[in-house]
Amino acid sequence: MATAFSTLTVFFPSKTTITRPHSHSHPLTIKASSNSTNPPLPGRKLRAAVIGGGPAGSSAAEALASGGIETFLFERNPPTTAKPCGGAIPLCMLEEFNIPSHLIDRHVTRMRIFSPSNLSVDFGKTLRPNEFIAMLRREALDSFLRSRAESFGAKLVSGLVTNLELPESSTSPYVVHYTSDNSRHSLPVDVVVGADGANSRVARSIHAGTYACAIAFQERIKLPDHKMEYYNDLAEMYVGNDVSPDFYAWVFPKCDHVAVGTGTVCAKQNIKLYQKGIRERVKHKISGGKVIKVEAHPIPEHPRPIRIRGRVALVGDAAGYVTKCSGEGIYFAAKSGRMCGEAIVKASEGGDRMVNEDDLKREYLRVWDSKYVTTFRFLDLLQRVFYGSNAAREALVELCDDEYVQRMTFESYLYKKLADGDRLQDVKMVWNTIGSLIKCNMVGSK
Amino acid sequence: MSISLALFSPPTQPPLLFPSSPSKPHLTLIPHLSLRPSKFHTTTKASAENGAGTSPSAAAALEIQPDQKVAETPKQVVQKDERSVGANGSAGAVETEEDKVLSQFVDPKWLGGTWDLSQFRKDGKTDWDAVIDAEARRRKWLEGNPETSSNDAPIVFDTSIIPWWAWIKRFHLPEAELLNGRAAMIGFFMAYLVDSLTGVGLVDQMGNFFCKTLLFIAVVGVLLIRKNEDLENLKKLLDETTFYDKQWQATWQDEKPGSSKN
Repeated sequence: MATAFSTLTVFFPSKTTITRPHSHSHPLTIKASSNSTNPPLPGRKLRAAVIGGGPAGSSAAEALASGGIETFLFERNPPTTAKPCGGAIPLCMLEEFNIPSHLIDRHVTRMRIFSPSNLSVDFGKTLRPNEFIAMLRREALDSFLRSRAESFGAKLVSGLVTNLELPESSTSPYVVHYTSDNSRHSLPVDVVVGADGANSRVARSIHAGTYACAIAFQERIKLPDHKMEYYNDLAEMYVGNDVSPDFYAWVFPKCDHVAVGTGTVCAKQNIKLYQKGIRERVKHKISGGKVIKVEAHPIPEHPRPIRIRGRVALVGDAAGYVTKCSGEGIYFAAKSGRMCGEAIVKASEGGDRMVNEDDLKREYLRVWDSKYVTTFRFLDLLQRVFYGSNAAREALVELCDDEYVQRMTFESYLYKKLADGDRLQDVKMVWNTIGSLIKCNMVGSK
Repeated sequence: MSISLALFSPPTQPPLLFPSSPSKPHLTLIPHLSLRPSKFHTTTKASAENGAGTSPSAAAALEIQPDQKVAETPKQVVQKDERSVGANGSAGAVETEEDKVLSQFVDPKWLGGTWDLSQFRKDGKTDWDAVIDAEARRRKWLEGNPETSSNDAPIVFDTSIIPWWAWIKRFHLPEAELLNGRAAMIGFFMAYLVDSLTGVGLVDQMGNFFCKTLLFIAVVGVLLIRKNEDLENLKKLLDETTFYDKQWQATWQDEKPGSSKN
């Protein structure tokens, strides 16, 4: 009788509710219901290691730690190292992740896109007064997110993860081998979240497969004051075969300098030529400037073949969540990190039970895919149609002159939701798209 | 791809060894800029140093080669640029204000960033064909000689200036004639063939579902397959359209055949 009763209490724990103590975001309530078949953990909480302390890793660590899981956040770089990055984040990220406004260096409210023949179109007429693209320094954002994760209870480990040892059975731990302070350590954990970026070591350990990468190359240039005025709230995008065969080149204003760069997937060996090309295109606007830094980084082009294996999940750049066409990754990294963390909390019922691969796939991957795969597919379509040839790029810039197109673009970018448009305008937009493509192809191919 | 990934594998410092192509010298990018300007020069086109001869400084500065794009075609306007060297030690700034545009599209009919339509008059009306030709020539020239963008002289020309009927008259009608001709030839021949084989006349053929399907296929075929290469292109297009989707679904493929160890 007593044993039966104790068995009952083990398998039907009382309902627990976990609320996230955030002021602005919607309070997350996780009701632990009792239909999990995973074994409960004996007298301890689930241990999770988050490898990589960028936006993805910090968000995952925050979600895990506030859900009651013992979290270890590994980061190899000191907080002041700048990650080569555009540094632009959409409005929805500021709200969803409570980014304080003192981190924002600039509010970009105008965007100018230049076609191969230098026809330029100004984006931004449709922005409302409180809408902007926030430009920030990655080191500032990353540090903030990391310390917030720490404040929720994640333990920050400063060291380089060298290897992830896979377990033999479904209950034995993963062992994270890392170097810290010139000595080697190892840490056994139950769940691993790989948030270590485009060259993810975690991904390699679980044989997640490789993906095609674009290379983004940029130079940070400090401009004289009157030239910097021009870029005060303006970001520029350049398209053309001279600046990139399959992507775009940019001039983004940062805190007190501009970043001039370009990227490509298929012609990486010519990246210097393309950089020269963009420097030529903006020659007058940056003349008198001084290059203060040169940096480059790979950007994944599509998700890895395997994103979850065993009790290891990949998030952010490690999973390949970068959109085509715009190359945006920060928001998706943070969001996927948070989703993965919440999935683990839910599947483990607040850290009381072990999790398995099916749990991760069901709670994280399926939810993520159903939410964002359409966005990613659509941007892939845009990239294939409009970045393929100079004629198509001319058509793209011509189309952007339309106010409806601008409004839809900005709304989709800023809020990551399919903006509800007018059916009639949509038809007109498609008609204009076809028309522009045909016209520009005719003029371009002679 | 795997080569570049291997090269990008994380060293202890974040910015990475840059895998320049084999013909160029190996470049290392490190955070605090101690790039020797001369090294950078060798990677760009072989161009002579400017006569002003600023001393390459080890400070954080890169010098740009100013004198590429020596004019060959008559349409280019070349200016020698003057380097003004700062009095302080850190020389090597990017071009200064006195530099003029090195190459620019110049044409008597191109004014203020667009085509001057008043110069295209023929018989009292604008000769749109000539405008289209001029723009095509300009874009072709720009492919080889990209222009610097300028705030003072923005380009304003866009294809919507040309009225829609000019496009139709010039491009759509000849192609429409060609395609209709092909469709008519195929249609006549197939109708004759089917009639001789089955005895079903033209009117009765149109009533048959199978024949209507064949007709549909023939029309679509004439529209889509205009050159020999089109067949290959269509196949590639189909692959490309589904490729990205396949990559997203790849992680789910593992589900059925024996899932991996937990």
